[in-house]
Amino acid sequence: MAERILKYADAIKEATEQLLESDRRVFVLGLGVPQGAGGTTTGLSEKYPQRVLDTPSSEAALTGLAVGSAISGLRPIVHHDRVEFGLLASDQMFTQAAKWNYMFGGGNPVPLTVRIVVGRQWGNGPQHSQALYSMYGAVRGLKVVIPSSPRMAKGLLIAAVRDPNPVIVLEPRWLYQTKQIVPKKMYEEPLEKARVVRKGKDITVVAYGDGLVSSHEACELIGNRVSVELIDVVSINPVDHDTIKKSVMRTGRLLCIDTTSEAFGVGSEVIANVMKTCTLEARPLVLAAPNVPCPTSTALTEFYYPTRADVANAILRALKKPTIRHTLTFQELHLAPTLTLP
Amino acid sequence: MAVTRRTKKQDANETAALLQAYKRMLSIRIAQEELVKLYMEKKIFSMVHFYIGQEAVAVGVCDALKKGDKVMGNHRSHGHYLAKGGNFRRLVCELLGKANGSARGKGGSMHMVAKEVNFVGSTPLLGSVVPISAGVAFEQKYNKRGTITVAFYGDGASEEGVVYETYNLAALYKLPLLLVIENNLFSINSYIKNRRSGNYDVKKIVEGLGVRYEQADGNDYHDVHEKARALVDSIREESEPAVLECMTYRHMAHSTPLREESYRSEDTAEKRQESDSLKKIHDELLGAGISEKRLSALENTMRASVRKDITFAERSPYPKKSELYTNMYAT
Repeated sequence: MAERILKYADAIKEATEQLLESDRRVFVLGLGVPQGAGGTTTGLSEKYPQRVLDTPSSEAALTGLAVGSAISGLRPIVHHDRVEFGLLASDQMFTQAAKWNYMFGGGNPVPLTVRIVVGRQWGNGPQHSQALYSMYGAVRGLKVVIPSSPRMAKGLLIAAVRDPNPVIVLEPRWLYQTKQIVPKKMYEEPLEKARVVRKGKDITVVAYGDGLVSSHEACELIGNRVSVELIDVVSINPVDHDTIKKSVMRTGRLLCIDTTSEAFGVGSEVIANVMKTCTLEARPLVLAAPNVPCPTSTALTEFYYPTRADVANAILRALKKPTIRHTLTFQELHLAPTLTLP
Repeated sequence: MAVTRRTKKQDANETAALLQAYKRMLSIRIAQEELVKLYMEKKIFSMVHFYIGQEAVAVGVCDALKKGDKVMGNHRSHGHYLAKGGNFRRLVCELLGKANGSARGKGGSMHMVAKEVNFVGSTPLLGSVVPISAGVAFEQKYNKRGTITVAFYGDGASEEGVVYETYNLAALYKLPLLLVIENNLFSINSYIKNRRSGNYDVKKIVEGLGVRYEQADGNDYHDVHEKARALVDSIREESEPAVLECMTYRHMAHSTPLREESYRSEDTAEKRQESDSLKKIHDELLGAGISEKRLSALENTMRASVRKDITFAERSPYPKKSELYTNMYAT
């Protein structure tokens, strides 16, 4: 069969459609879901009117309803179009779904999937572009994944829905237009495993989501000047520290990329764990957005998110190599990428 | 229509039903009273929200349900758990943090569960259980089970935003859901009149969001039971949610067995005693010819059985250290 290229949003839609088709327990709900949810559910309500549901603008109630249906054996997929709206359902995710099986001594699974769109988008400013990864990483009882490509988006969503636990899928909006070859059949990507996406021996770069895409591009810029081992964290709850440590023990160098504020970030968490058991050849590094909210003006956001040039130069500096001059266009800096990923 | 005389058989049936309800309420009362002793002996190492005073609500509602109907509760759920048929021994073990507790010692008093009798779970954060119960009802409708779900929560919880949200959502999705507000006047120690504007009107709120509303005297088994039965029948028939608000009194403090009276101007100790649902049924039974002697013998038997279960729980083993790490994820 010919390979096909799908956009990130279309890969999510394909996974959702296949899940609806193959498992009667699956249903989807969220504000605007029948109207398409950024292309991830477009048209599905025509085929499944009772299972692709619009809701009131009541995030806590609709998420709670999903929790209740999950403890009864259904497989709901909740969609929150922004993490800030998802926060309104924090009690239901963090305190109810995440604790349910533990607090009742087991035997009380919550097969809930919550898809939350997070992070950067042009002109969205302080209250529409947070990512809050670390907040989700810190809550015990949840599984939390960040799909970094269309292929991951499809495989992780299928795995999330089939898992008997509450899984939060944090989808970077910045990647929604990226493309990739995506298998047509149903397949799962493991929920709790980091992935070595590029083999190397000089330095381990740990990234996720949109930061992984910038890191891929940075490797292209660097060429063969440095041999980079690139790891996609994939899961931030729990973090697969073993895969990361194994790599760092070989390379002796570690750079973490965070596409949100550095404080209490994924990078800090990874470094803290690596340092407990590994001896490095150089100080571990984090490249992250600064510890301020994300502003709106392009004159300021230009300096907010680490770019591929920033990542490339951080790698080169870590290896004491000359840095490069590389300028991104306005389009590249401020509009979501449409590139095809390897 | 000719006036039919009540037969002796009818009277006997009614007395038997009354006695049955009394037994169910009394068993919850006695269980609580004995748990109070355990609490005062500092054997229960957690908060306990005692249900004493509100027994007519749990029993009145649960008596209107079928086995397959599901029930959920809140922080004050010993009564709901027992009324739905939850095992008392496992409850005490749970309160004492023992390995054979209903949640293997991981939940405690605020996290009652007995799935074997369709008591789906109780969760103490105010109002949290309401949307979850809507989800449980959603599944019943989705799979056309013909059963309904009931959630119990308090007047304090009913002020949470998610509860208003859920009224609308449950009406929109036409869920087979009975929401029971146990209005005992206090959210912890905050008196209802200090929490609500003078124009606050629960009936208008509930109906305004598209849900049917009834109010019952929560200190009267008959009133609760009759209204619950009518609502349950119609919910089962129509698949439309309803709210039943039961006006009742919490005899003890919020989360201890102490009888703090300083903040109570409306539900004084005298008033609570005088309107006590158990006392009412007790008097009715005397009126129906059941002797005081028989009733106190019944009480003694029940108390002995409860104490036996408590002794069993005290002798039960604690969970092993390895249990700390189990059950975070389902497998």
